[in-house]
Amino acid sequence: MKRKIGLVAAATAALVVLAGCSTPAPAEQSADGQNITLWLMGGDTPDTLRDFLKTEYADATGGTLTIEQQDWSDALSKLTTALPDSENTPDVTEIGNTWSPTFTSVGAFSDITDMYVELGGNSLLPSFVEVGAVDGANFALPYYFGSRYIFMRKDVWGAAGLEIPTTLPQFNEGVVKLKTDTQSGFYIGGEDWRNGVSWIFANGGELAKKEGDSWMSSLSDAKTIEGLTQLQTVYQDASLAPVTEADSTPWVNINNNAATGVPEAATIIAPGWAHWSIGDLAPDPKDDTKTVATWNDATFGNFVLPGVDGGAAPVFAGGSNIAVSAASKNQAGSRELMKIIFSEEYQNMLGANGLGPANLDYASSLGDDQFATALSESAANSKLTPAAPGWAAVEGSGLLEEFFGKVNGGGDIPALAKEYDAKIDDLING
Amino acid sequence: MSADALTRVNNRRGIRAPHLLLIPAIAILVLGMGYPVIWQIVTSFQEYGLKQQFGQAPSFVGLDNYITLATDPQLWVVVGKSLAFCLITAFVTLGLGTLLALLMSAVTTTARLVLQVALLLAWSMPVVSAMTVWIWLFDRRRGAINYLLDMVPGVDMNRFDWLSTPFTFLLVASIIVVWMSVPFVSFSVYAGLTQVSDEVMEAAQLDGATGWQRFWGIILPMIRPVISIVLLLQLIWDLRVFTQIKLLQDAGSKSGDYDLLGTYIYKLGTSAQDFGMASAVSILVLGITIALSWFYIRSLLKEDVA
Repeated sequence: MKRKIGLVAAATAALVVLAGCSTPAPAEQSADGQNITLWLMGGDTPDTLRDFLKTEYADATGGTLTIEQQDWSDALSKLTTALPDSENTPDVTEIGNTWSPTFTSVGAFSDITDMYVELGGNSLLPSFVEVGAVDGANFALPYYFGSRYIFMRKDVWGAAGLEIPTTLPQFNEGVVKLKTDTQSGFYIGGEDWRNGVSWIFANGGELAKKEGDSWMSSLSDAKTIEGLTQLQTVYQDASLAPVTEADSTPWVNINNNAATGVPEAATIIAPGWAHWSIGDLAPDPKDDTKTVATWNDATFGNFVLPGVDGGAAPVFAGGSNIAVSAASKNQAGSRELMKIIFSEEYQNMLGANGLGPANLDYASSLGDDQFATALSESAANSKLTPAAPGWAAVEGSGLLEEFFGKVNGGGDIPALAKEYDAKIDDLING
Repeated sequence: MSADALTRVNNRRGIRAPHLLLIPAIAILVLGMGYPVIWQIVTSFQEYGLKQQFGQAPSFVGLDNYITLATDPQLWVVVGKSLAFCLITAFVTLGLGTLLALLMSAVTTTARLVLQVALLLAWSMPVVSAMTVWIWLFDRRRGAINYLLDMVPGVDMNRFDWLSTPFTFLLVASIIVVWMSVPFVSFSVYAGLTQVSDEVMEAAQLDGATGWQRFWGIILPMIRPVISIVLLLQLIWDLRVFTQIKLLQDAGSKSGDYDLLGTYIYKLGTSAQDFGMASAVSILVLGITIALSWFYIRSLLKEDVA
């Protein structure tokens, strides 16, 4: 018995030692037959694209690619716990663009600088490449980008005698006029900071600034306060959404309500791909418990959120990065998958499905319809959240939801800004 | 062998056997709980963030984490809310569970079976499925609760958002937790009630004791051990409630005003990536749990001795 325990202990010790020095050596490893796991966030990547990746990966390596979909809401926790653990880590993972600096700076990802040029080099979306790089070395690369623009009910706007606004003040006034007891002029949740931040950006404000080597939350800056004040008015006077609602599915409100036959919102802001869910509703011929939406140009319209003095307002740059986990045992297979993802064929498939391709050489695959135009126009002006090492912790702590909820609930903006500046400063530098 | 010697052998075996029987339980406890608890205690004295999670050596900071949490007013608000939530929920659960148990022992067999099956169904429902249905019931737009309340004359609950204020949010959470825990309490108490001998009850009845007096003076003291242990378990369970609150937050607000200790620690640890502080708060919760249950454990031990 004793000897057995001794053996087990020795084996365990050996495993620990081996695990400790098993730094991956991509040059010597072969991708042949490696079975790897890819984490995708949310349902943004359509099934046809997933199938393409699986087939191509099997053809290239003979191994199996398993795709596991993670929920955005729990993704941060799962990445934090799984990535360091070589037994449980995904080999390749999609990661929110705003979280890239945090995970890149702690060494969660493999250095893929040697592949950078092969995967697209300078054609890759620069702002996304930047958040995934440290000291000139590339760790996380862009996966796709999207951005948010406005969807409107032409019938409701027309009935009120309003034109498509060309400046932000016009927009703010217009949506207030459209609000009734049962219909939001502009539907935005109180805690929805990812959309609400556009008002801060549009007024020249920032969420945080870098001073020297450290980041400082800048909610108390005059321009940020100005943006928040406008947002507060818009929320209070134009939106019927609950103050506790964050990023949600606002398109259900712009379609006609099945019970009343009228929409609950005259205007929403949503990621570009939401247009697939907006339109005249009819029963789904394949499944009579569901409905399908068909876009109707007479009733629905879209435009880019206008800036303070016209043009396009800078909106939150949505999208993801993608990276190879440093703890993965299948570095060679993972690199093979990266080549497939950055291939011309896959990049064009992303574009054809309304997701902005990482490689801007293939941006034309988005097409030239009104949605593609709005996407390019808003993306060109979009902004990322601060590339601070602790940014993922700031998002994870829910402080931004809390702050925007309190502002939109009618709180005193300068006092709240001061309070939350202090709270965010505690986390933002990692 | 004389009878005396036989007793002695038996005695000695009697002393050793219980100790041997304890080994599996202790081994499981040490294996399952020992490592996490020790890790947690150690981590609570360290600065342990995402960098450390990815392999950097953590540094010991002494009592820093504890000092930070002792001086954080937000934490004490969460502690207060959690304690209030736990006490109210546990006592309401116990009250309802006991009433249902009394009902079970009073009705006919058929009625009792129906009641028991209904309770068992509620008890066996997986938490996540049950929560999905509850969230639908309390839905702002299409929830059955708002629809029914709105039909009451003079009550305007159209589109009332239950999850938009911390009070109604925790009220909903409490209702759900009570619903989920009442079956366990009523089955346990019912089991206790079956042990109350009919003769004693009959004698009390003959002496002219009213129903209330019989419950208060005879039944309750006799089933007190069951009540104590069930209440203790409820208090512990309701203090560390997590899943229900997390799922309600997913449906409502993630903001800190809606946190109880479980979600507070989860956010601090896995979302804000401050494992050192999260461990320190966990140790605090362990302390609160021990403090809460100390009284009960002591009285249980006394009863055992008696």
